[in-house]
Amino acid sequence: MILSAVDICKSYGSRKVLKEVSLSCREGEICGLIGPNGAGKSTLFRILLGLVTKDSGTLRISSQAPKPLGGIIEKPALYGYLNAFENLKVFSRIQGLSCSYETYRNLMEQVGLSPEREDPVRNYSMGMKQRLGLAIALLNAPDCVILDEPFSGLDPIGIRALQEQVRHLAREHGIGVLISSHNLVELGDLCDRFFVINHGEIVKEGPAREILQAAAGRYLIYGHGLEDSATLRLLQTEFRKGSVLLSPGELPIEDILKRLTGETEVSVTACIPQTNLSILFDKEMI
Amino acid sequence: MDLIRIELFKIYRQRKTFYAIAAIFVLEAFIMVSAYFQGREFLDILLENLRESFEFRGDLLNGNLIIYLVLNSFWFHIPLILMIVVSGFLTSEYKDRTVEAVLIQPVSKFRFITAKYLSALIFTLFILGILVISTFVLAYTFFGTGDLVVFLDGLSFFESREAFTRLAYAFVIGSVTMIFYAVVSLTLAVLLQEATITWILAALFLIGTTLFLRLEFESDLMEYYFFPKLTDSWQYLFYAEIPLGVILKKNVALLLYTVVIGWIGIRVFQKRDIS
Repeated sequence: MILSAVDICKSYGSRKVLKEVSLSCREGEICGLIGPNGAGKSTLFRILLGLVTKDSGTLRISSQAPKPLGGIIEKPALYGYLNAFENLKVFSRIQGLSCSYETYRNLMEQVGLSPEREDPVRNYSMGMKQRLGLAIALLNAPDCVILDEPFSGLDPIGIRALQEQVRHLAREHGIGVLISSHNLVELGDLCDRFFVINHGEIVKEGPAREILQAAAGRYLIYGHGLEDSATLRLLQTEFRKGSVLLSPGELPIEDILKRLTGETEVSVTACIPQTNLSILFDKEMI
Repeated sequence: MDLIRIELFKIYRQRKTFYAIAAIFVLEAFIMVSAYFQGREFLDILLENLRESFEFRGDLLNGNLIIYLVLNSFWFHIPLILMIVVSGFLTSEYKDRTVEAVLIQPVSKFRFITAKYLSALIFTLFILGILVISTFVLAYTFFGTGDLVVFLDGLSFFESREAFTRLAYAFVIGSVTMIFYAVVSLTLAVLLQEATITWILAALFLIGTTLFLRLEFESDLMEYYFFPKLTDSWQYLFYAEIPLGVILKKNVALLLYTVVIGWIGIRVFQKRDIS
């Protein structure tokens, strides 16, 4: 276990922000921290990164690296008046690293940034800033990276590219990744494990797929001939143009899909789970 | 040292550094142009009666007088520019949240904030260096040399060579006061974090200090240990007899204030969460 937080508590005055929060992350594992706004995600990340002091609890980091944890909190914070190369230089020299130009170049290429660009980073798009923020987080080879809302402000292409980079870091370099996002679909596709936090408490923990599946209240099904389906007529549905929003009730979704594909006049092209947030954020262990 | 070098690099790459240097030159130019057009008239009124009894060598509207006028910007203008720029070194990091990004790296809060204070000190000396060199060069180039006339408690006259020495030392001694203001502004930035509030309080601090300086206190304790009364020691260089003991005492006390205020800023920064 690279990172292990046990019973972390934090209060601001009389307001308890974190109540005995425990989570962990292994080498090469991608863990997602999800929760509504104000649940305590950013405070927890700030504590893990040493920016905020905890009131109580234990934080264990099993790493011999000079920089055990790297991270980005909310949007990447960069020196806007410097270019990407200078930002990397400043952040590496701050931690006593003396890297060659080639090292910076490789790092920029690793996160998909062009080393040729020399204008100040204030001109960069959010996607490029996120990539540079990631490159800075990766300076000094940390064993674990904490990314708070890294997809915010990114277009779908940017999200996909960042997902690929995170996956690459975990799978190829064995870096543990702790990531938070409001984008549950993207996070579900990326993460191995989920920690669900609400009102400062971890309310659920487990494999990402299982947690999302358990919270999938309804399914959006795309296809042809859905209006004429005998199976759907028996279920609670809401027909839309080319799709149907389905509440499966007692019947498992796998069975419904089998029946639909068995109907000759119906073809299903996609089935997207619609996460029920009140179920997801509800305090109930799976 | 690496951290200080990086801080100086950041200062060098920020536009506000060059605005500060430009402001110094604008101030100098303004003083020189005003002196050129109105200085002679003012001197004539001031010396109307004395000219009948004494003979003055050379033109009294000369480089030394101009340098003395620029030196008087140590009362308010130069500290104000310094306080705004120096506090911005930290408030801009709070605004852009780069202070978070830096402290996520393996660097201690103590080392980071100490480097900020030390680089602010170097920046202050650098700005003063530019001010001194440019003032002396421009003033002597455009106005030449000559005797210096100064009105403090009364009129004092210094021969050109002596005037140069006194002016040079006044700048050196005044730099202690400027360092004090720079450190105060950085500590205000630590405490307040937000740029506009810091600027307003820095300006208020400066105004308050200047007002208290004008007040006469009966007690020696207030005269020698109350910080507003310690910020004028450079002015003592223009008394006929230079009170070296007083200058030394005031500067040591002011340096102690500077260290204590800097230490408070460092401690608060260390203790406080970054959120």
